[in-house]
Amino acid sequence: MLMKYEFLKILRKKSTITVMAASLLLTAFLFSLPILQYQTYNQDGVIKGSAGIAYTKSQYQDISVPITEEYVEKTITEYQKLFENPDNVGYDGSEKFLIGDAYWNFVAPREKQLRMIASAYDSPGENSGFNKLPELDLANGAKFYQMRNEKIESLLNAPSRELSAQQKEYWGNMSSKVETPLQYGYHEGWEIIMSSFELLMFALLAVCIVIAPVFSGEYQAGTDAVILSGKYGKTKLVTAKIISSMLFGVLAFTLHVTVAFGLPLAAFGADGWNLPLQAAGLTIPYPFTFLQAALTNLGVIYLVLLAMIALTLLLSAKMKSPFLVLVILVPVLFLPLFLSPNGTAGAYNLVLFLLPYRCAMPEIGKYVSYQIGGLVLDAFSMRAILYAALTAVMLPLARLGFQKHQVA
Amino acid sequence: MQLQLKNLCKQYGTKYAVNHVNASFSPGVYGLLGANGAGKTTLMRMICGVLKPSSGSIRLNGKSMEELGERYYSHLGYMPQDFGFYPDFTAREFMLYMAAVKGLDAKTAKQRTDYLLHMVNLQEAANKKVKSYSGGMKQRLGIAQAELNHPQILILDEPTAGLDPKERVRFRNLISDFAKEKIVILSTHIVSDVSYIADYILMMKSGRFLLGKPMETVTSHIKGKVWEILVDSREVPIYSRDFSVVNLHHENNMVRLRIVSDTAPAIDAVTAEPSLEDLFLYHFGEDAQSKRSDDYADEI
Repeated sequence: MLMKYEFLKILRKKSTITVMAASLLLTAFLFSLPILQYQTYNQDGVIKGSAGIAYTKSQYQDISVPITEEYVEKTITEYQKLFENPDNVGYDGSEKFLIGDAYWNFVAPREKQLRMIASAYDSPGENSGFNKLPELDLANGAKFYQMRNEKIESLLNAPSRELSAQQKEYWGNMSSKVETPLQYGYHEGWEIIMSSFELLMFALLAVCIVIAPVFSGEYQAGTDAVILSGKYGKTKLVTAKIISSMLFGVLAFTLHVTVAFGLPLAAFGADGWNLPLQAAGLTIPYPFTFLQAALTNLGVIYLVLLAMIALTLLLSAKMKSPFLVLVILVPVLFLPLFLSPNGTAGAYNLVLFLLPYRCAMPEIGKYVSYQIGGLVLDAFSMRAILYAALTAVMLPLARLGFQKHQVA
Repeated sequence: MQLQLKNLCKQYGTKYAVNHVNASFSPGVYGLLGANGAGKTTLMRMICGVLKPSSGSIRLNGKSMEELGERYYSHLGYMPQDFGFYPDFTAREFMLYMAAVKGLDAKTAKQRTDYLLHMVNLQEAANKKVKSYSGGMKQRLGIAQAELNHPQILILDEPTAGLDPKERVRFRNLISDFAKEKIVILSTHIVSDVSYIADYILMMKSGRFLLGKPMETVTSHIKGKVWEILVDSREVPIYSRDFSVVNLHHENNMVRLRIVSDTAPAIDAVTAEPSLEDLFLYHFGEDAQSKRSDDYADEI
């Protein structure tokens, strides 16, 4: 009964409706942008929007294959053959590239795939595009997966990463679990989702704005005295307030997630959900499909959400007005927006990757890891543990804050 | 049912809002009188467990508030001064919510809500949002919620403040109806409110009880200290400066003054029957503080 009324108190407020409507519209707008702005090219020019998406999808029909050593070798050989014909080659003063029909018929339909293949032959941090493909020696085969493994090895041993032996072992083990040959295919919708997670922070802020008055609103309205003197005012009521806030937060956020995921998946299709993440980045160490990665990151974001609700409730129990709660909360949520990592090592970067805004970003290809004694945790695990722990610590403190509140 | 306050203190810095108060309450209506800032609200908040005492204890039938926990609060009904409502709730929703806070089951909550809304004459407005209510309606809703759990201790902090005379009379009657077999502590600075309904009068000043007596005898100690005198209107300022003037009434070119004073203000002054208002002014009149020593009651 108490929960029903606490939930009703949240829902009945005009501010709840306003904030939620504005936030949903913003989320819909932000996640619509990649659809509205999507464009691809063919020989006739630019193809925009849904026509562009349909065209891209059709291009993938022939290249949705397992990336076997034979396939890589065949693709590179074909590229090299086209390069041998001077009529197919352009030069811009610094590099050579395929032009004309050679480009439109061979490169354009498989540009992303070709980049992925070519990336195996780049050193860490290098992005030579297709420049190395014409001169690649294929006498002993493409050695595609060997090159990938060597690249990952180099990445792990790069001094700038400052990885310990245990961390290198951790990533090495994880990377070895990636099943080969990799299956390639169309995954546009998932790539957009994976790169847009941080936009959900606006929805998270909206939830916190709505939750901010749960305790402080009672102080501000002067209802604290009457409820705290009730039989369950300091016991079951506090539990009801916390559970209804959590429930509202999760439901409201899920509504946002549905819109945020639904729009790109509706426009680009859910195709690619079962493809390995490496289709988007060859050196990604996680042995996940796109769906697994998206759900894992979403799980982390939900834990961040719960922790931020717990923080909001804690501040709400301690502050005299919901406005003061937000004065603290907004910088906590959005300060990392203005801070950029300058690497993946060092206290600054490691802390930055754990702050709420950054936590929404999956950082799947950065090998961000944390070592506590002999235990190595990747970014997903560390974030999950941290925010679950924060929730577990802050909720009892919020509860205590309201129970100890003095009506003055 | 006995509510005991033992050496109850609330200290802010070096200032005592409530200063070593001792009292024992058994069922009856207690009118708590005192000027603004006397410590009435602070005392009531501590009794209601929403403000922690700096020291001392509150006991119900010999057991401390902390020891009793939820059982203490289940005996309590509280109507704070100027307390807020949830503007987007209807009166019925507010009552049902408060019933849930007070631990009533759904069936009892509904029955009590209907009964009490009828009692306070809000049954027709029960489904209207509280934000559309007048001040008087909100006060009536306030006392109705305090009564939801049949409290044995009913604490009403300035329940008639801001009400017009007609609403005040209605409200006094309501309190009388609710007060049977309960400890009712009613604070006000409107003396006439308590004179009708209180069984006992408690006077508070500077955080301490100044006196506590049954209604019938509360004015006895100022018997012979209330005077009436007919003076020339030009003399009024002189009397007002030197004495606590309770009332003045123009009669032709003269003014009849009612004065509370330990000594006769003039040779021709005659004593009058003291009222509660006289008592209030005797203790809280502007000059009372400077004229009278702190003769606080140790225990009420």
